[in-house]
Amino acid sequence: MTTATQSKARTIRFKIKRSDGPGKPSYWQTFNVPVNKGEGANVISCLQYIAANPITADGTATTPVAWKAGCLEEVCGACTMVINGKVRQSCSCMMDTVAPNEGDTITLEPMRKFPVVRDLFVDRARLFESLKRVKAWVPTDNLWDLGAGPIETPEQHEVRYKLSECMSCGCCMDACPQFHKIEDDAKWQNAFIGAAPISQVRYFNLHETGATLKTERLNEMAAKGGISDCGNAQNCVKHCPKSIPLTESIAAVGRDTTIHAVKQFFTGK
Amino acid sequence: MSESANPAQPAVPTPFLLRRLHSLAGLLPIGAFVIMHLTTNASVVWGELGKGGVETYQHEVNFIHSMPLLLLIEIFGLWLPIAFHSILGFYYAFTGTSNVKHYGYGANWRYALQRFTGYFGFIFILYHVATLRWGWTWLPFSSGFDAHMAASTTAQAIRGGMDPTALAGFLIGALYLVGVLALVYHLANGLWTFAITWGITVSEGAQRRWGFACTGFGLAMAAVGTMAFVGFVTLDIEAAQQTESQMHAEVVNADTPAINELADNDNNNTTHQR
Amino acid sequence: MPSVNKNARVIVVGGGLAGLAACVRLAEQGVNVDCFSIVPVKRSHSVCAQGGINATNEIARQQGYSEWVHMDETLIGGDFLADQPPVYEMTHWAPKIIDLLDRMGVPFNRTAEGQRDLRLFGGSLFKRTHFSGATTGQQLLYALDEQVRRSEAEGKVTKYESWEFLWPITKGEGADKKCVGIVAQDLRTMQIRAFPAEAVIMATGGCGLVFGKSTNSVMCTGGAAARCYKAGAHYANGEMIQVHPTAIPGADKCRLMSESARGEGGRVWVPAKIGDTRDPREIPEGERYYLLEERYPKYGNLVPRDIATREIFSVCVDDNMGVDGKNQVYLDLSFKDRKELDLKLGGILEIYEKFAGEDPHEVPMKIFPAVHYSMGGLWTTFTPQQRPADPVQDLNCGFDTVTGMKFGAHNTMMTNINGLYAFGEVNFAYHGATRLGANALLSCIFDGLFSGQGVANFVKEAAEPVADIHQSVYDEAVQQEHFKTQKLIDTAEAGHSDPATNPYQIALEMGEEMTAACTVVKTGPRMEKAMSKLNELQGRYENVRLADGGMWTNQNLSFTRALGDMLTLGEAILQGSINREESRGSHYRPDFLERDDERFHQTTIAEFNPTTGKPDLSYKDVIGGMVKLRPRDYGRTESEPKAEPKEATAKV
Repeated sequence: MTTATQSKARTIRFKIKRSDGPGKPSYWQTFNVPVNKGEGANVISCLQYIAANPITADGTATTPVAWKAGCLEEVCGACTMVINGKVRQSCSCMMDTVAPNEGDTITLEPMRKFPVVRDLFVDRARLFESLKRVKAWVPTDNLWDLGAGPIETPEQHEVRYKLSECMSCGCCMDACPQFHKIEDDAKWQNAFIGAAPISQVRYFNLHETGATLKTERLNEMAAKGGISDCGNAQNCVKHCPKSIPLTESIAAVGRDTTIHAVKQFFTGK
Repeated sequence: MSESANPAQPAVPTPFLLRRLHSLAGLLPIGAFVIMHLTTNASVVWGELGKGGVETYQHEVNFIHSMPLLLLIEIFGLWLPIAFHSILGFYYAFTGTSNVKHYGYGANWRYALQRFTGYFGFIFILYHVATLRWGWTWLPFSSGFDAHMAASTTAQAIRGGMDPTALAGFLIGALYLVGVLALVYHLANGLWTFAITWGITVSEGAQRRWGFACTGFGLAMAAVGTMAFVGFVTLDIEAAQQTESQMHAEVVNADTPAINELADNDNNNTTHQR
Repeated sequence: MPSVNKNARVIVVGGGLAGLAACVRLAEQGVNVDCFSIVPVKRSHSVCAQGGINATNEIARQQGYSEWVHMDETLIGGDFLADQPPVYEMTHWAPKIIDLLDRMGVPFNRTAEGQRDLRLFGGSLFKRTHFSGATTGQQLLYALDEQVRRSEAEGKVTKYESWEFLWPITKGEGADKKCVGIVAQDLRTMQIRAFPAEAVIMATGGCGLVFGKSTNSVMCTGGAAARCYKAGAHYANGEMIQVHPTAIPGADKCRLMSESARGEGGRVWVPAKIGDTRDPREIPEGERYYLLEERYPKYGNLVPRDIATREIFSVCVDDNMGVDGKNQVYLDLSFKDRKELDLKLGGILEIYEKFAGEDPHEVPMKIFPAVHYSMGGLWTTFTPQQRPADPVQDLNCGFDTVTGMKFGAHNTMMTNINGLYAFGEVNFAYHGATRLGANALLSCIFDGLFSGQGVANFVKEAAEPVADIHQSVYDEAVQQEHFKTQKLIDTAEAGHSDPATNPYQIALEMGEEMTAACTVVKTGPRMEKAMSKLNELQGRYENVRLADGGMWTNQNLSFTRALGDMLTLGEAILQGSINREESRGSHYRPDFLERDDERFHQTTIAEFNPTTGKPDLSYKDVIGGMVKLRPRDYGRTESEPKAEPKEATAKV
């Protein structure tokens, strides 16, 4: 803006995969965005610039790009998209790191495994449905004053805390070769559930009260689309923005499901 | 919504059971057999004390072929498990879509390679068993296997048949080497994922350490397999035939009934061109 | 006994802590709930809360702490602008709330023995803040989200995610005015629909975006509150905006750096010598100016937020001592043990490293104040209840009877419109003129659980069943929203970027002006100037043009609509600030430096005047009765420390 910052200004090209709505063809548009070094510009601030100046690099007037955002601190998971081919949050994608030079290009695409609503905005309802599949809650009796919850050691807390940081962003699913885009919500139930809900199974089974639903959760893990659909490609853990040990969760739930199934085999319960 | 399992359902859900059996079959009996098979083959190179490689190998083969109900063992212990593991494996593999193009990480490559070696390994096993066990020598560049002439017929087979051209020799040789290495990879990596799937290695550290162990195992098996391959490719076929004929003559002269049966059996099954 | 409406339905607008807590309470009470949220509820702004949640606990109690002291801290923290009975009730419910959250599985940090761990927080000398790493808000929200999902699976709650609240549907006028539903729009299909209900709870959070870059999430426009205000709901204490002392400035927002960083020992300092550009690690202890510790020896770095903010602001702006000559100071944790830091503050240190590109384990963080929370909000009422003082909870309080709120009373946190409630940050009830750290999560959940009971009783026992309300009431409301939408859509022109009428440009100028005039330091003349700027922007907004005229996921429309509401709310905030000629809590007026209890121990009530489009202000006495007013200085030392830095350098 000011002359003092002119010297550190550069132009970044944003190549954006757009689509006007579900079932509509996708198309690419390129936008030039001026960015100043050292001012903390990220993909969000650039998309904000594009929203205010919806004119493509070749001068075509267009509509602002649609995308989802929330906290902009990488704790809500809303602004997840595919940046330069890889899935991540756009708020933490800093321009000075990923596009330090004049003319650098950034490509933005919507997440690949969720139905597109418009442009970079996808519908991740399936993710929340999958949390219902695994009964991802502690079955408390009621809301009245019944004293404290179960005692927990710091070690147990440390394990559970890490798992509880999952913000349901869907990166683990988007990067997974076993997880596919399904538009028809009737088909979600039997499709691979993905790493995050498996990790939630572990999280809730580790809680004393939560474990009262352990059998039902492990049944779901043993059902079609459950844990055995995992192919151990382990992209999930590489792309979890919260560094949740997803592959450990998968192995731990795999162990529990194995033991559970053996018990079931012999006891029928 | 919170209804418990439908009473009509089996105690252990079928998809899960099939998955676990699929995983188990890869290790037992298939994996165990592969280990045995490759070490047996490698005996052509070193041989036992006082004996040549050809003799040792012939001994091993004789031992195997002396087993009672061999065909039933083969059908139920090998061919059906392999068919089960392969058919389900194909089905499972088709449920995935590799994305190494975007996510070129080691584990993801191994995931893709596991599926590719599965496809390739299956074709290789089919060719291998069909030509050397079932005697489908009408397949290109192929010849059969004679249990009395174990080393020499094996050597011929992997050099492209009885009348090899340079191309046939190269193609079949390459098929064998790549096929064996592919299956070794498939087994070693399968061993690694087996431990995760069954929940044996849970922590990242355990998975990493078990990964080193599986890598070591894979490299060792690859060395064994390659050694056998080199052994057969460099085998002096005529000398081997002499040794084998001698051994066979000794056996026939001894007139062991079991062996005679076996010999008859084999003569019926394989197209013996000599 | 009146007949009970068994089909009663309540609409909850907002799926943050307050909204979700209300959902679980209502579902448990057998009321049908429709929950509306712009974002999937799990992505609500509550996830950004980091530090913790306050409650009396047995350890603190044995050292002299109690619910009563918690109330006292909250009241003096808020500079006595909060009505006392709601604060009494909230602080007395706090321990029960912690226990309930614990039962729900919130991973609170633990001591070696397995008890819930505690940390020190601003405005208290006792450890009374429960926490879950440095992502407490996230953990609490998830626990409630899980409970609501359970209710949803049982068919008790219906979620409308990606739906925007447009208008409260009301019937009648004056004191008879009542809310009978809402108009909402699906932000994907752009469908506009009426949703009838016996009661509506607004739980829509704060309005940080009025100030442009704040610590708030992008949906915290205050639009929903502004729409209720335009529909006749009163807006109280709008001028009370909290500026958080420690945030990381960025291009798109200012990211919060939790007070827990100081609670765990973090120290705020600047180089004692102006223009000292050495690497902070090379500046010896003696050449650092620990401004808060030296100015407030008793509370140190844990003075309430408004005080820390002003001191940091003044060190940078007045004394020109900011790091590298910029508006920033050091927040230092680099001297602490890495493992312990990760255990207790991992989440926020990671945020700093990701966004600022430096490792706070190694180097001090660079931070500056940013707009954070609105203590003000929709005006709400309650039913006071006198009861004997509790010998444990109210130890040494000096009263025989105390006044709390009546549990289950129909009007608990009801606005001046019957059946329209406001819970959480969007109401004005608990925090007065400054909110203490880690009290926000408490007030939100408390509202949902406590005040939610009143709503359940109201819709069962007192509300007119929606079945009796004529359909035309709903049709007209939808018509009105269609008309407003169409008016904006008709302005659309692809590629529109003329700054004069571009909504994003108008929003940018509004944010910059509001931040400059109406945050840390407010003066009459500057605010008058801001008011004319706001009026100019309102004029430009009349001619605002969209760049997208489509009726599918038109975010341009949604933003522009909210911008109009932000301008209205901004004006109420500004007018409240201009008229409050005193300094109290976060409201700091150098032209009126003293707290003026004579004139302003009162709640500002802004009423939207539909004729002028401007706020009409009036004042209501603050309901006290328990804690007596006293000066709020947190033991600031008399000696003016401005001279000290130079002496310090001279000594070296």
